[in-house]
Amino acid sequence: MTMFSRSDKPAEPTVPQPPRPQAAAQPLSSTSTSAPTSAPAPAPSPVRPQSSQTPGVSVISKALKITGQLESTEDIRIDGEVEGDVRGLSVTVGQGARVKGTVYGDAVELAGAIDGRIEAKKVVLTATAHMEGDVVHQDIRIESGAYIDGHLKPEHGKAAAKPATKPSENAKA
Amino acid sequence: MSVMPLSSLARTSRAASAGAAEAACLGLALKVTGLVECTGEVHVRGIVRGRINAARVVVSAGAFVEGDIVAREVRVAGRFDGRIFALSVIVDESAAVTGRIFHNQLSVERGARIDGRTPWRPPNFFESLDQLPETMP
Repeated sequence: MTMFSRSDKPAEPTVPQPPRPQAAAQPLSSTSTSAPTSAPAPAPSPVRPQSSQTPGVSVISKALKITGQLESTEDIRIDGEVEGDVRGLSVTVGQGARVKGTVYGDAVELAGAIDGRIEAKKVVLTATAHMEGDVVHQDIRIESGAYIDGHLKPEHGKAAAKPATKPSENAKA
Repeated sequence: MSVMPLSSLARTSRAASAGAAEAACLGLALKVTGLVECTGEVHVRGIVRGRINAARVVVSAGAFVEGDIVAREVRVAGRFDGRIFALSVIVDESAAVTGRIFHNQLSVERGARIDGRTPWRPPNFFESLDQLPETMP
């Protein structure tokens, strides 16, 4: 039945291959392993070593434009343009960057422009920030020179958690 | 649903490489839904559902891209499901590709999985590609 007794795992060759000792580490395939796996390969990969400089942070660079949703369980740094919602642990909108949509996060630092909304525990608006829309926060710092056109609501966390339970209780009463 | 023609990508990519050599990196924990446009290079380590337009795209090992990639140069080491339109495509041994790879130059490493078709096209097919054909992968 098992033709050539081939296992269905792609990265573990049954044939012994001496020049590829890294094959055992292949199934994990994390960021850290991707660089060493390609390093001994003769194929041209001039960009690999340089790309492993920032393991956790996602960088939306200046040349990049994203239309749609962005979701991460780690930090996001935006230097380019995003049209849509951004969710991350810590979101940094760099100088010159533009975001159109809601930015959710534990900590949001704004040095660029947001047209939309910020919902975060800790918000920092630096001197070059341009904020058009509401900021829902627990803790905010605004540097001199920041532009804000919107409301500041110190209710992040409280307001978000409660309405889910309260309306139903009111409906019963 | 118009696509940036590759001919314009060629121009902008040269300008971008002269200025900022930094590649955009979509990290391990990042999930993007929608359109990703870049004049330079994009490294995908997380999940992208939608379309990527860039001069050069690298789908790293462990990454997953579902949708279309339109670029001059594509390197796949992770999982990809959809269509690739690129002049030069490299499929690494850790890659698993489902769908179609429209290419002019293709290189597949031993051990790579490709499930689908890999149609060859002349270079001018990619240069004049401003509307993706509406074929299912």
